Amino acid sequence: MDATFNNGSLGLYLIAGAIILFVLVQSIFFLVKAWKQGKKLSLDKAKLRNAVTSSALFTIPSALSVLATVIALAPALGLVIPWVRLSVIGNLMYETTAAEAAMEAFGHTGGIANAVTDPTVYAGIAWVMTLGICFSLVILPFLAKPLHKKFMAASNKEKAAEEAAPADGKKKRTIGEFINKFATPAIFIGLIGAFIARAITGQGSTKAPEELDGAGVLSVSTLAVAVIFSIVLEVIVKKLKLTWLEPFVMPIGMIVAMISAIVLYNVLPNGIALIEWRG
Amino acid sequence: MAKNKTEKSYFDRVHSWGRISSVTALCILLMFPMAICLYLDVSPDIKFILQGLLKLIPTYWTVAVVEVLVYTPMLGAGGTYLSFVTGNIANLKLPCAISAMEGAKVKANSEEGEVISTIAIATSAIVTTIVLAIGIIAFAPFLDSFTNSPLLQPAFKMVLPALFGALGAGYFIKHWRISFFPIIVMVLVLLVPGMGTTGASTLLFIGIVASVGGALAMHKLGWLDNVKD
Repeated sequence: MDATFNNGSLGLYLIAGAIILFVLVQSIFFLVKAWKQGKKLSLDKAKLRNAVTSSALFTIPSALSVLATVIALAPALGLVIPWVRLSVIGNLMYETTAAEAAMEAFGHTGGIANAVTDPTVYAGIAWVMTLGICFSLVILPFLAKPLHKKFMAASNKEKAAEEAAPADGKKKRTIGEFINKFATPAIFIGLIGAFIARAITGQGSTKAPEELDGAGVLSVSTLAVAVIFSIVLEVIVKKLKLTWLEPFVMPIGMIVAMISAIVLYNVLPNGIALIEWRG
Repeated sequence: MAKNKTEKSYFDRVHSWGRISSVTALCILLMFPMAICLYLDVSPDIKFILQGLLKLIPTYWTVAVVEVLVYTPMLGAGGTYLSFVTGNIANLKLPCAISAMEGAKVKANSEEGEVISTIAIATSAIVTTIVLAIGIIAFAPFLDSFTNSPLLQPAFKMVLPALFGALGAGYFIKHWRISFFPIIVMVLVLLVPGMGTTGASTLLFIGIVASVGGALAMHKLGWLDNVKD
């Protein structure tokens, strides 16, 4: 145990700052390159601007959740390790588990609620959390290009076949046509559906209803508000031809649903908002 | 023809930048615990590090392979490299890219989709980095009470249903025929005893298999013949 160990020292913040700066520079680099390519492709400037503004708006609520995870890990690890871990590859769901596993291996009792006071254990946890999560960056340089090219080739091949085919009135239902028209939306729906199903019948990891981590009244009502509000807003946007509003339907729907969670939690009779079907 | 050449060279350049930035990010990331060790003048026991890693590797490294295979076609080239460096893919980068592509009315596997997806993910990464930096450096003294505020707690706890409900709405309107089956399958999977707490990555895999399988069957049966592209 080292009494002088400070997990919030300037030196640690500078180490973290250098890493975060790299992430920022890389993101700006790709943004500039994509923007230039968009101009080359004669993409409407308004479309490019909308992509930036709607994405920024969309990101803020989720970024606050990421911030909340950093704060959740702060009592044990301070702010530096969680900040770096959730800025590079990190994930809301994985980091808490990784921190717990690392603490357990180093014999740190009390989990993420107890401060790590031994600098050796602190450094060891940083190693475990980093090595545990970095594998995608090892395989990505080898897999991304061939995978991407394969998918693009399949998509383009089918498009060309469709254009070249004589209009004989007969509908061909090929795998290629499926990949081109339905594979991407089907994958997206599978992904979205996983989280929707969890909100409907998912079980919480704790039995405490106030944790609100399982499916119940609040998760289903928030989900319903998000879906219904977004659909209604989308229909209004289409009917009234409010094209400028279209990119914001999703972030607005999400924020309204989050506000509805606060309202329902406070307005519903005592205990009802905390009901979870399966704990 | 000329356009085709530009197209190819842009994708090739993106992959070159992506590969360089991924390797650089990996080196920088590994330097983080190394720098901590040097700064604190400590050397943790490798035995304990390996013990901790043994608990994580079977899940995390398998998930890493699955994620690269599943997300790469959806995120485009630039978006893929950026997303895997900045993280929070399923809960933030991917929905953000999907939403931006829907808003711009471009397809994921087109050049336009590549541009919009990269812009969306880069913006999201920049905003997240700024929000985190502001939150940590300037807002730290109040942050605890803000995130733990009893008033705002329900909103933070319900961020995933709100996010995916709003995101799903656009798809339910356009692709309602293929939407019901995978959701019903996953709702039922979660009801199977012992499966209620299935992790997001496993459920996501089941969902994608059910969704693609269901959609393929509907396509073959001709149920999707009238769906507009």
